[in-house]
Amino acid sequence: MTTTEAPAEFIEATLDLPVRYIDRSRAHYLSLGYDNPYQWAHNLDVPFTPMKKPVSEARIAIVTTAAPYKPELGDQGPWAKYNADAKFTRVYSTPIDPAPDLRISHIGYDRKHTSAEDVNTYLPLQRAKEAAAEGRIGVLNERLYAVPTLRSQRLTTERDAPKVLDHCREDRIDAALLVAT
Amino acid sequence: MLGCGKDIVESAGVPRFVFSDFPLGNSCGKPFDLESQRGILGTALDLLESARSPRTTVQTPYRWAEDAAWKRDFYRLDLTPEQIANARAEMDKQKATLAAKLSAD
Repeated sequence: MTTTEAPAEFIEATLDLPVRYIDRSRAHYLSLGYDNPYQWAHNLDVPFTPMKKPVSEARIAIVTTAAPYKPELGDQGPWAKYNADAKFTRVYSTPIDPAPDLRISHIGYDRKHTSAEDVNTYLPLQRAKEAAAEGRIGVLNERLYAVPTLRSQRLTTERDAPKVLDHCREDRIDAALLVAT
Repeated sequence: MLGCGKDIVESAGVPRFVFSDFPLGNSCGKPFDLESQRGILGTALDLLESARSPRTTVQTPYRWAEDAAWKRDFYRLDLTPEQIANARAEMDKQKATLAAKLSAD
């Protein structure tokens, strides 16, 4: 199919471009009859801190949006439908040994093409443990942190992000890997 | 940051971004595929050291599938009226569940 033949809404597939989620979610919300499409975060200033030591000597933590599996909260996958009951509302931390059972059924990922059968697609814990064992990471922090996804920029920036920063400082980590889902 | 939603992450702005052009939910690699999972984590660790300024994006080289047809399917805009009604009912339910959780918090 050529560009001119392709329906505009399929342009990413036709040209193999990154999907324009902001445009598409906005159009989707409007098509459902909501008159207030989600306002995605847009920051003009972005912080940056250079690493002060090599990763092979650094303490690295993982930050996830995944939720602890709780059988009483309904189907949490793999292949689970979107499950708002499985959402958590507060930042938590959890030890990485033994590996916690964390799921993403509470997040709006691509359910047609994503099964969430393999935790390593959304939580790089096992791969990071291997990297630490190989010496590529100095120390993998003994606990990971999780941030709730509440569709509120205010809660994320004013309440939850400072809490994660507190944890990072308590644990004296040098860098964090944030995994978006 | 490891992610698959390029426009969302770049609009928010992060210091360092490892972008994989996969369906949402696969920021750390393809299922049961050690090569992409190791490669993406390795790219993230490399980027911690190599980035020199904020908003540095690196795209990983892995492909989700031979063609890009999967990119049509998220939030499709060619829904029938019945599908729209179902989607609206489902979204209203999700919003109510979240609102109840937040008010009970």
